[in-house]
Amino acid sequence: MAMQNEPSTPHLTPAEFELWAEGLLDTTRTMHLADCAACLTTGERERRLLRELVQLPRFAPEFGFVERVMAHVRVPTPSGDFRAK
Amino acid sequence: MRLESPPAGDSTSDARSGVIGAKDRPDDLAGASDQQIVAWANAGREDAFHEIVRRYERPIFSLLYRMVRDRALAEDLAQETFIKVLNGIRSYRPEYKFSSWIFKVANNAAIDHLRRRAIDTLSLDGAPDARTPDEMQSTALQLGDERGESPLAELESRELGGQIDRAIARLRPEYRACILLRHVEGYAYEEIAQILDLPLGTVKTYIHRARNELRDYLGPVRE
Repeated sequence: MAMQNEPSTPHLTPAEFELWAEGLLDTTRTMHLADCAACLTTGERERRLLRELVQLPRFAPEFGFVERVMAHVRVPTPSGDFRAK
Repeated sequence: MRLESPPAGDSTSDARSGVIGAKDRPDDLAGASDQQIVAWANAGREDAFHEIVRRYERPIFSLLYRMVRDRALAEDLAQETFIKVLNGIRSYRPEYKFSSWIFKVANNAAIDHLRRRAIDTLSLDGAPDARTPDEMQSTALQLGDERGESPLAELESRELGGQIDRAIARLRPEYRACILLRHVEGYAYEEIAQILDLPLGTVKTYIHRARNELRDYLGPVRE
């Protein structure tokens, strides 16, 4: 006997949760979430997590980083040699 | 550090890399593709080398900082990455995606460092050869806010002290790299497989497990 509230379609896969969180899951599979409280809970947690990851700030190295790198870089000349620093 | 060959890909930089301070640079540099910049660098244009560093210093430094959680060390590794890439620019092949190549070099630098550190001494319980409680404590791996009171430690605590960054820090390094490349830098699974030299299925598994772990770490206080 089928259990009460058992969804009529298979549960979402991890890849489908990601697509749903990004708004890219197709309509048929999205309908499953209306049927399945477990998938809806997981999907909402996934969506919050992905939103937080995307919003993580970028950091910058200390001032003068470009110059510190370039002090060790050999710039080639068109003839194939390297320009002296 | 091992030698990396450039992975396959197209010619554009990643979605989040952006162009930093573009208004201060010549129009041809600011609007050029990575491939064009590299071609100019190969032709001996020094400003093209500067442009590569400016374009990637933030994404590369941020990845490394979150991998090793030490500002000074992340900067050393970022510098090592750029020097290696720029001095090897002639070995770069334009049919490959430049951003994948530079992230590959950076990730290898981070993983090499973390492996060395693990072998050298550091563990939660201290060095293997520590004989006294004091020796064990002095060689034990220090995490997050427990690291000390120096201004740099305070800065690191402020920058990486958020709940999500602390959760990322608890992931295995391989999971950490995958999750950062996928969900912070916006790389496709296939590109991550190329950057990390891993089979595509392994990358998918790592990212799935990493997201599960992050949800678990974050879950109790968020629901």
